[in-house]
Parts: sequence; C-alpha cells; structure tokens
Amino acid sequence: MQNAEMKSPETKRQTVQPAPAWRWLGERGLRVATGEATLACYTMLSAQSFAELEDVIPSDDSLLLVLRRGATVSSRLRAALAAPLSGTPAASGKLHEIVVEYGGSVGPDLSRLAGQAGMDVASYIHTHAAVEYTVAFLGFQPGFPYLRGLPPALHAPRRASPRLRVAAGSVAIGGVYAGIYPAGGPGGWQIIGRTIAVLFDPQRPAPALLMPGDRVRFVPK
Amino acid sequence: MIEVLRAGRCDLVMDLGRPGWGAFGVPAGGAADPSALVAANRMVGNDDAAAGLEILLAGPSLRFPLGGVVALAGARFRATRSKGKAPAWNETLLLAAGEILNLEQAETGCRCWLAMRGGLAVPRVLGSRSTLLPAGFGGYQGRALRPGDTLACATPVGEMHLLRAHPPAPPRDAPLRVVAGPQASQFDDVGLTAFFCGRYRVGAASDRRGLRLTGPAVTHVRAELPSQGVLPGTVQVPPDGQPIILGWDGPVTGGYPAIATVIAADWPRLAQLRPGDAVRFATVEVEAARTWTAAPWVIEALA
Repeated sequence: MQNAEMKSPETKRQTVQPAPAWRWLGERGLRVATGEATLACYTMLSAQSFAELEDVIPSDDSLLLVLRRGATVSSRLRAALAAPLSGTPAASGKLHEIVVEYGGSVGPDLSRLAGQAGMDVASYIHTHAAVEYTVAFLGFQPGFPYLRGLPPALHAPRRASPRLRVAAGSVAIGGVYAGIYPAGGPGGWQIIGRTIAVLFDPQRPAPALLMPGDRVRFVPK
Repeated sequence: MIEVLRAGRCDLVMDLGRPGWGAFGVPAGGAADPSALVAANRMVGNDDAAAGLEILLAGPSLRFPLGGVVALAGARFRATRSKGKAPAWNETLLLAAGEILNLEQAETGCRCWLAMRGGLAVPRVLGSRSTLLPAGFGGYQGRALRPGDTLACATPVGEMHLLRAHPPAPPRDAPLRVVAGPQASQFDDVGLTAFFCGRYRVGAASDRRGLRLTGPAVTHVRAELPSQGVLPGTVQVPPDGQPIILGWDGPVTGGYPAIATVIAADWPRLAQLRPGDAVRFATVEVEAARTWTAAPWVIEALA
C-alpha cells in the first residue's frame, strides 16, 4: 500500500476533477492531491467527521489527512476519496478589511520592492490594496494566512536570509502569496507594512481571525 | 505545589498535546515521548493525560513546600534530593514537605519527564496544557519555567500505589525507521543514496521545532514546491541539502520536498537525540509501520 495512488484519466472540465491521487506521509499521514478543490474537499471531510481522522490540514493544493494512532482508512473514507471532486465553491467566506500602515520602519522592504516592480511607492500600495485576496490555508505559525490573489507585478521571492525577528502584525509578501505574521519571530518574507489586527488569540472562541475560504482586503491607514 | 529555585535549560509543561487544530496552523505538540510521560503519570496515580514537566539536557532545582508524590522517567540526569539519597528514576518517589529536588546534567539522552500526583494545574489552551513555545501559549504562561515560578497541582483523584516502571530497552545504534516519500522523486540518485545510506549528525540548532542534521548533501532535482501538510518526523530537505527532521512543535505545512517520515514508534528515540549524536535511516513499509507501536513500558508494584 506504500505510495498508493488512485489515478483517473485526465479531464479538462473545470467543474469536476478526477478522484485525487494520494500518497502516504509516514504511516499516519495521507497526502491527497486535491488541487483547485482543496477547500471544497476540506469542507466535505470536516462535515462528515471520520472517526479514524485526528486532523485534516489544508495546504496549497493538497490535504493532509492525519490518522489516529493505530487507525486504518475506513471503507467510507476510501469511498469519499475515490469520488470525483466537485469544483471550487464560489468564494463565500467572510470578508475582512485589514487596515495597514505601509512602509517606513514597519515596512522596511516596501521601497525596494516597489523599485524592483518598476513602480513608485504610492502605486505599489495602491496595487496591493486594490484587489481582494482569498485565504488558501493557514500554516507556518498559528493563524498565519497564505493569501491568494497577489497581483503578478508584486510577486517577489523570499529574502535570501531570513530576519531573526519579524514583528507581530507584519504584512508580508512571499513568492505568489501575501501573508500576515500573527506573532513575532524569525521570518523570511518581504515586509511591506503592519496591521494592529490580532490574527491569532487562543483565548477567543474562534482563535484565528482569518480562516481558509475567507476573503481579505487591505486598507491603507 | 512546586517552586522553581533554579530553572533548567528549557523546562516546559507538557501533556499529550492538542491534535485537531492543524487547519488553524497549530501543531499537535505535546510530550516528545508520550510513552514516558504516561509512565510517569501512572507511577503517581494520575490519568495518562495529566500535565507534567518536560526537562531538557540541564534540569531545574525544584522545591516542594507541601511535599508530594512524584516520578521521573526518560533520560537519566545527575540529581540529588535535599533529604535522603539521590532520587531513583522510574519509581514512585515520596517527597517530604520542604524537600528540594535538584536535577543537573543529563547523563544519557536529552529529555526526562517529571509527573506530580494530581498533575500540573495550568489552564488548558485549545484543549491542552502543553506549552507551544514558538507561539507563546499553553503551559506555564506560554514559556519555559523561570526562577520564582510557582506551579500548582490539581487535587488528586483515585488510588495511588508505590510503583516501578521498566522502560523498553533502547535499540543501540539502530537506524531510525522511516517511510520513504512522498516526494522522493524531487531528489536525484546521488541525493537519495546520500540520505538512505549516509550518516548524519544532530546539529546544535535543534529544538522542538526541528532536528537539524549535518552530513552528506541530499541533492535535489527541484528544491521548492507548493506548501504541503507535514507531520512531526517528516524529513524536509531545504536547498542546502542538509535534512531537517520536523519536531513536535514544527510548522503544519512546509514548502521543501519531504524525502521520508520517521514512524511514530521511533519518536521516543527522536526525543532523546542530542546535538552531536549520529543518525542513520532505514526504510520500512507503511503496513508494517502501522502494526508497530512504541515499545511498551512495564509497570509493577514496588516490592
């Protein structure tokens, strides 16, 4: 069963994808290649509550299903994974407005990134704040959102050497993603501004401000 | 109650962790060797999931103003008691009021666990009393213990007996067992041979987020991928080719290719690796790995 895969013929239809391929990560993790349907599949698996699953972790284009110790994949879960995936649901998550102070000491990489993008700082900020982002998944730190929708002109690689200390609330760019650091700590993304929004508070009933599927707009302060 | 007279290198309150918050970016965390914490809890009549202290390499000096019932399990540390002879490992210890337990350097291994009857009564955060140090929550105020801290214990329930635990014999110099993949195809033949046949050392910058290895470079075909979910034990290889075994408090997603994952049955051995230790890997099949659990502790009455 190692590296088990279930592949179906490629299909070009956008609304229905073939059953996803899956591979083992250790003996407790099943990495399922869910592609565009990652959030829809996450919602489906969460709603059905499979007893053998300890956790379901969405990421870029896959889900990691974590089996409880000693558990095996039930036939019900096998069937759910073998079914064709329905396409991405319409973006229906909550819309959040995140107020950002751009540049200066709180956005030390802004002017350099603007220069590299061939823009002045004002139009860089305008471009960053003009679009709506979608939370693809949370990772790296508790509550750290990976935001899809960054305009291609603003894509920028991570810093060659990470900063030892990035402030909580730092608004950042890493490759094709926009992100926000919930807590202080080391970090390699480019920092363009800061928000006072509290991204993660374990004492709140909903500890993460932004959840996969939610939408985000940045509002210049 | 426990008063911290002198803090160790990194004393953390731990229970069995908080699985189920991965979608929030929160790792499951918890005791690095759950079987050792469970054994310590059983020796003091606690529930398996009660919170204890995870102690790293150089231990703390602890005063028990009201006395108490404690047990130590895991790596052996040089240790003294203010009354009586040196504390035994793996048995129920009865401490008199005002006694001081002084833990110094680890003699072998890296971590030990101290359970106290009743369990450490820190607040639960996201369902667990474990410290998540990188995020600064859980455990005792989200941090390692400091001198002057005072830890309360819950009121004990249930019976207590004087017990002795026999830990499983650690395999000597055996390779860590891994399930290969899922991204082994991201590495070239030289890289794969280096990893599966090579010998690595645990680097100094290792902690509960990850064990950084140094040794033969694991060369890539492609070094950066979209972020994917990872587990403790997953071995990621960044562009420099030096593998990182993700730890209990590591990130839940990672963007470097995963060459293999250490099986859960070998976590107790990961917990005891210290900087400079040698590491080798051996692949096992998923179905075989599923049937192995961490070797059991045997617990019996103290004669």
